[in-house]
Amino acid sequence: MASLNRVFLIGNLTRDPEVRYLSSGKAVGDLRLAVSRRYKTATGEERDETCFVSVVVWGRQAETCGQYLAKGSSLFVEGRLNYEEWEKDGQKNNRLRVVADRVQFMGAPKRAEYSDSADSAAGVPARSGAREEAPAEPPPDTGNDDNLPF
Amino acid sequence: MASFNRAMLIGNLTRDPEVRATPTGISVADLRLAVNEDYKDKNGQVVKRTCFVDVVVWDKQAELCRKYLTRGSTVYIEGRLQMDEWTTQDGQKRSKIRVRADRVQFLGSPKGAGSAPQGSRDEDFPLPAEDLEEAAPVDEAG
Repeated sequence: MASLNRVFLIGNLTRDPEVRYLSSGKAVGDLRLAVSRRYKTATGEERDETCFVSVVVWGRQAETCGQYLAKGSSLFVEGRLNYEEWEKDGQKNNRLRVVADRVQFMGAPKRAEYSDSADSAAGVPARSGAREEAPAEPPPDTGNDDNLPF
Repeated sequence: MASFNRAMLIGNLTRDPEVRATPTGISVADLRLAVNEDYKDKNGQVVKRTCFVDVVVWDKQAELCRKYLTRGSTVYIEGRLQMDEWTTQDGQKRSKIRVRADRVQFLGSPKGAGSAPQGSRDEDFPLPAEDLEEAAPVDEAG
């Protein structure tokens, strides 16, 4: 029987990735993605609609998510819908989550690996901005932001 | 900010479409889709996995769904994920992900096609395959 289950999303994280490890040593990352859409009502009014999607990332990709993503990070996710059912207090619950096959980071990483301790020492609040962009660029591109197509 | 939201599914309806109308007279169809997938686990064992997805279809397409789809029908759905939020009677917030369909493509024959009823037609499917297997050795012998 023919079957297809594919989801493509681009959105922003509503919170830092939560990465944990199974007893087997395999990493699992839980991401909460906000995907917004702007549309016009019948009266021509512009409105935003946001869809919050829970995304599960496995293995090495989960670890990279934990390392490079933070609340607000923009990312592309490709995966499948996964139906989960469980029972709590005798009540049946279910939900749909996206299990990611591919996670593509969009935009600058949250911080350069080496500046981790420096950030907290300086007491700089989590505001991203220019400070993060500099170390994020690959070396040949330094200072050439204007040429980027986005 | 860049944003993208697209889901593509092929599955079978677990029940007949439920079609209602909004107060303004627009038709809305609720479909319940079972997307079956087979995958191999670590030991090479084939495991079946079913994903149940609620799909919302609007307007003219909803009417077509009512007309042509029934429990068991195979459909291709393309649309976007949509989050619906509501508060339960005891004040708890709940949310649910559904697919809001932009495109519904009927796969397989329509329900009123005059062919064999759905149930028996499904049972007929393995037969041609068996015929082929039987035929193959004969060909080799000849």
